Amino acid sequence: MLRERNKSPEPPKIGEDAPVTVAAMEAVFRDCYDFESRELHIGGDAANRVRLCFIDGLVSGSDVAEQVIRPLTDPERFSDVRGPAAIAMLLGGSVYVYTAKSRDKLGDAAGDLLNGFCALIFDAERTAVTFEVKSPQRRSVEAPKEEKVVKGAKDAFVETMKINTTLVRRKLRNPHLKIREFPLGERARTSAALVYIEGFTNEGIVAEASRRLGRIRAEGALTSAVIEENMVDNYRSPFPQVISTERSDKFCMNILEGRVGILVDGLPLGFLVPGTFSQFMKVPEDHSGHFIIASALTLLRYLSVALTLLAPAFYVAVAMYHQEMIPTRLLQSMIEARASVPFPTALEVIMMLLAFELLQEAGIRLPSPIGETVSIIGALIVGQSAVEASVVSPVVVVVIALAGIAGYTMPNLDMGSALRICRFFLVLAAIFLGMFGVAIGCALLTYHLSTLESFGVPYMTPFAGSEGRHLSRALLRRSMTVKRDREPELKTGDGGEAKL
Amino acid sequence: MKKTILAALALSLALTGCSSGLTIFSNYRRIENIELVRTITADKAEDGVRVSVYGTAGEENDARMYENTGPSIGVAMGEMILMPLGREAILSHTESMLVGEDFARERMGECLDYVERYSETRLDTGLLIVRGGAAIDLLKGLSGSDPAASDILAGLDKNISRVGEGYVFTCREVAASLAGNGVALVQCVRGVEEEKLFEARGDLNLEPDGFAVITEDGGAMEFLTEEETLGTMLLLMKLRSKNVDLPVQNTVSTVSVEKIRTSYEPVFGEDGRLLKLKVRLELSANLISMRGAADVTRREFREEAQTRLSGIMRDAAAGAVARSQAMGLDFLDLEGIVSRKEPIRLEDMPEAWESLFPTLPVEIRVESRLERTFDIVDPPEISGEEEKSPWEKLIESLKDN
Amino acid sequence: MGKTDRITERQLTVLIFVSLLSPMIRILPTAAVVFGGRSAWLSPFVAFVAGKLLLSFMNALRKKVPEGTGLADMVELGLGRGAGKVFNVLCALWLTFYAGFVCRSAAERLLSTVYPNGSVTVFIVVMLLIAVLTASGLTKSLSRTAEVLMPILVGVIAAVLLSAIPDVSGENLLPVTYRNARDILYGAVPIFNVMTGFVYFLFLSGHVRKDTSIRPNRFPWLVLLALTALGVTFFTLGTLGEKLAVSMENAFFMVIRNIRVFGVVERVEAVVVAVWIVTDFIFMAALLSIVAEIWRTVTGVKKRTAFVPVSAVLAGAAAFLIARDAFAFQKWSDVLIPAVNLTFTLILIPAAALVGRLRKKY
Repeated sequence: MLRERNKSPEPPKIGEDAPVTVAAMEAVFRDCYDFESRELHIGGDAANRVRLCFIDGLVSGSDVAEQVIRPLTDPERFSDVRGPAAIAMLLGGSVYVYTAKSRDKLGDAAGDLLNGFCALIFDAERTAVTFEVKSPQRRSVEAPKEEKVVKGAKDAFVETMKINTTLVRRKLRNPHLKIREFPLGERARTSAALVYIEGFTNEGIVAEASRRLGRIRAEGALTSAVIEENMVDNYRSPFPQVISTERSDKFCMNILEGRVGILVDGLPLGFLVPGTFSQFMKVPEDHSGHFIIASALTLLRYLSVALTLLAPAFYVAVAMYHQEMIPTRLLQSMIEARASVPFPTALEVIMMLLAFELLQEAGIRLPSPIGETVSIIGALIVGQSAVEASVVSPVVVVVIALAGIAGYTMPNLDMGSALRICRFFLVLAAIFLGMFGVAIGCALLTYHLSTLESFGVPYMTPFAGSEGRHLSRALLRRSMTVKRDREPELKTGDGGEAKL
Repeated sequence: MKKTILAALALSLALTGCSSGLTIFSNYRRIENIELVRTITADKAEDGVRVSVYGTAGEENDARMYENTGPSIGVAMGEMILMPLGREAILSHTESMLVGEDFARERMGECLDYVERYSETRLDTGLLIVRGGAAIDLLKGLSGSDPAASDILAGLDKNISRVGEGYVFTCREVAASLAGNGVALVQCVRGVEEEKLFEARGDLNLEPDGFAVITEDGGAMEFLTEEETLGTMLLLMKLRSKNVDLPVQNTVSTVSVEKIRTSYEPVFGEDGRLLKLKVRLELSANLISMRGAADVTRREFREEAQTRLSGIMRDAAAGAVARSQAMGLDFLDLEGIVSRKEPIRLEDMPEAWESLFPTLPVEIRVESRLERTFDIVDPPEISGEEEKSPWEKLIESLKDN
Repeated sequence: MGKTDRITERQLTVLIFVSLLSPMIRILPTAAVVFGGRSAWLSPFVAFVAGKLLLSFMNALRKKVPEGTGLADMVELGLGRGAGKVFNVLCALWLTFYAGFVCRSAAERLLSTVYPNGSVTVFIVVMLLIAVLTASGLTKSLSRTAEVLMPILVGVIAAVLLSAIPDVSGENLLPVTYRNARDILYGAVPIFNVMTGFVYFLFLSGHVRKDTSIRPNRFPWLVLLALTALGVTFFTLGTLGEKLAVSMENAFFMVIRNIRVFGVVERVEAVVVAVWIVTDFIFMAALLSIVAEIWRTVTGVKKRTAFVPVSAVLAGAAAFLIARDAFAFQKWSDVLIPAVNLTFTLILIPAAALVGRLRKKY
């Protein structure tokens, strides 16, 4: 009965291609308290009416009043102008709004209203003229919170796509820079834009990116996962295949390397494809610091990948099956340290890994001040007290901490998360099969990464699939005094003539 | 299909613990249950062999000895490892193997075979023959001491060649030598009772006792004297340094022989026979202390010192060669040396090496050079001599040189 | 962005190199020292020359073959459809058996080095499952895996060999005179036997794209393989000496067992053995891929993945049944397998390919 009482009557089925009328528009936005509809007299003539519709909150009230209503109702400007003539005048600049569109389909007109436009609906002509009068209420451009650099630009993307495209345009003043709009989501109708340089970016990649964007069947693109999981070649792999960044400079640098960018209204991120493994090892700071230091840090990151993946598994394998590898003195101290620990090594390591993950998750979920405190205290308590209580041995704490810290050096959060999952599987393989299991696990992991492609580019480029060349690209940064070759796997064009 | 395979893989991993035939869990050892063995001994026993291991579970001060007897080393060790200790001995960190003299005479080959064949043991385990007592008794005498027995043995391994007292051959070296020319050298040690120099020393002290010569069949075993051992080390270039007392003029000067270079020159006759083997030893030494008074800057002093040093080393080398020839065992690997120098001529020799070797003339020449004397040119006192001015001393030294 | 399964010439050669590291470690240095004695460390040079000749010969035969034509297709073109199919089936059966042998060999090596109390069953089962998983995928994935792992393998073996330098004694390696020439030649035979394994990989040459836009970037796999053989033989002989090396089943791993790296790492054979399992796994996966490729050509079925599980089961049966114990297995390893391998790679397959060229089929 409750269900019966609350059930709203079925909305009338009005297609997107239906003609624009006031009744149709009001039917679409029925039960929307923020939908406003008022009658205006063109030129002050009560017999010459037009309907003004807008979504309160999305538009700037003052702009609507000053730039649309005032000139429209001015008898000197719109004296005895009706129907088509009025439409022509409105489109010709008689109202002081810089964007004016003529819409004869209901879907387009409704979409405009949702994008911060106001619409003047001419019932008889079944036409609407829409004007962009977006509200200025939006988050301002701030410094990036996650991808911080000391010397780089401090303008990060925001939720408003227009602002983001402006940031891109300011950095890439290339007339061939294309920003192609796509509506995403059947219900949310989120705007997304494909960004590339015509004639430079590989046409195949552009076409494929367009195709994949176009086939997104989600209700709306309100989270990054909608984009990432629909754009990748293999969505089942935990490894990221789409680069995401909140930095406009990093976004533009990748466009200049030949990648295709995607911006989505409502998400303060830019996405870039194709994404390869080596790209996730790079940070914007690399291009700000000295190239030798940047190269050394990049190598350190690769070492960190090995550490975070292999350290716990290696310890388990050696401690359980291959004690002969441990130097005599270290083994003596380990024997003594473990004498009072009741749990076997395998359980110790798994417990510590889980504890580490729990602490990490707790630190993220809790509000900042509490989260940081909990992480620190938790680490101290878990580490220190567990050792003193002989729940775990000190070596395990050191190994797990080392692996965890190495994981935090990953520039990309998704990559770090993927490595954390793989770490668990390698530990399991080490528990059951020792060093043989670690080797087989690593081989399987490498095979999996080798099966991945991103828009036709092998994921492990340049380590595989690039003919043994350009390895230095992945591992080192060349000095900016040396002309940079383009990324060969992206097969960019010469970048010149616009297509007519 | 991929899902099926992954599921089968996960299942096979899970099943690895189920049956002893399908598992590697039998290789699993809990670290806390490990008895870390650093030294093994083997002695002759009534019913075969008496073995012991000296292991720690943690700090060396808590080291324990375990022993067992059996018909063979393998059986005795296996039963000892399985004994109800609640612990499991691992031999992968074994650094030394002490073999009693009696057991070494009869079954040295078995010791080597055990180390080579057993997957845990290392080939660079040092091999020592214990003379004048059982190996287990020596180890007991050293154990409970500070530093611990294993560290004493490790120290011996590191330092013995530095002080010119011997060289600890590893099982690999012994095995390779036996496989090569059927004879090998093994360092001998002896336990001696001494007054306690430090608190908490054990009952015995460890002393090197020359080399033993063993053969492939494990039968014959001879021992070299101290001088023969020194000569052997010189000829094999195993000597790193050696302090020697030399009576020079009115002094007893101690020199440290630092650099030794040995070169060989086989001399063949027209008929292809090996006529003799020339050996040249070049020694560099430094004067490190002196009892008495003498002017070391004088050429006479240095020449006499060099001559005396050369004489001592030549006698040692000649003694080693003579012993080798007398035994008929080429433990100096002179055949190998000649083969490397003149391989084709050696192959074409009319006489076999085995028959030639015992009577082969070996001419040894030793050249010693006293390099330096470390800061003090004049001794603190030169009794009975008039003090000369520095200018006079300089002119005199220039005339000398 | 279609899922074509094309690889470059370089990727194929990297796959060959990584795969052939597996039998190289198995037979060296013992087999070479048995035949070559103290001078066996010079045998890799001779083997390299012989391998280069065979490689040039086979490349010359393949030169005019159109893209997409593998060795199985060449055989059928050359010998005729009937005889060609029979020949290809013979090759497929032999390679299936060989894959089982490789699997068993890897398991035996694990038992004799780092898992003395283990069981061959678990190793054989795990390796077969993983080989099936990878062989069922695309050839390019397997090649890329080999590309990624190759520097790690080379780095590990280089580090291990360098660590063994202090134990090398010149007395174990010299003298070598002209009288040892025959020994050096004999010692080269087992090394050459391993190198000829590249012939099997030509069954995958149908996947190689002849892309003229890619500047030729030949991977010197034969040089690297010969250098590996040289390193392994040199350092093992130099450390153990001839007589000791011959008496040991896994002489190279015995050398590794005694490596100490600045007192930080003691016995690295567990790591090296584990790393070498990767080469075994890649070799097995490659062999199963080759077998599937042959069956695909013989039967005309488009997707080759159907043949992989069946071949794996047969290989598994071979792995279990080939020998009851390590002694019987050693006989296979020392005599039978090398003899049959050489027959296929040096005589039968090149002859079959040559017939096609003589008949101007390609």
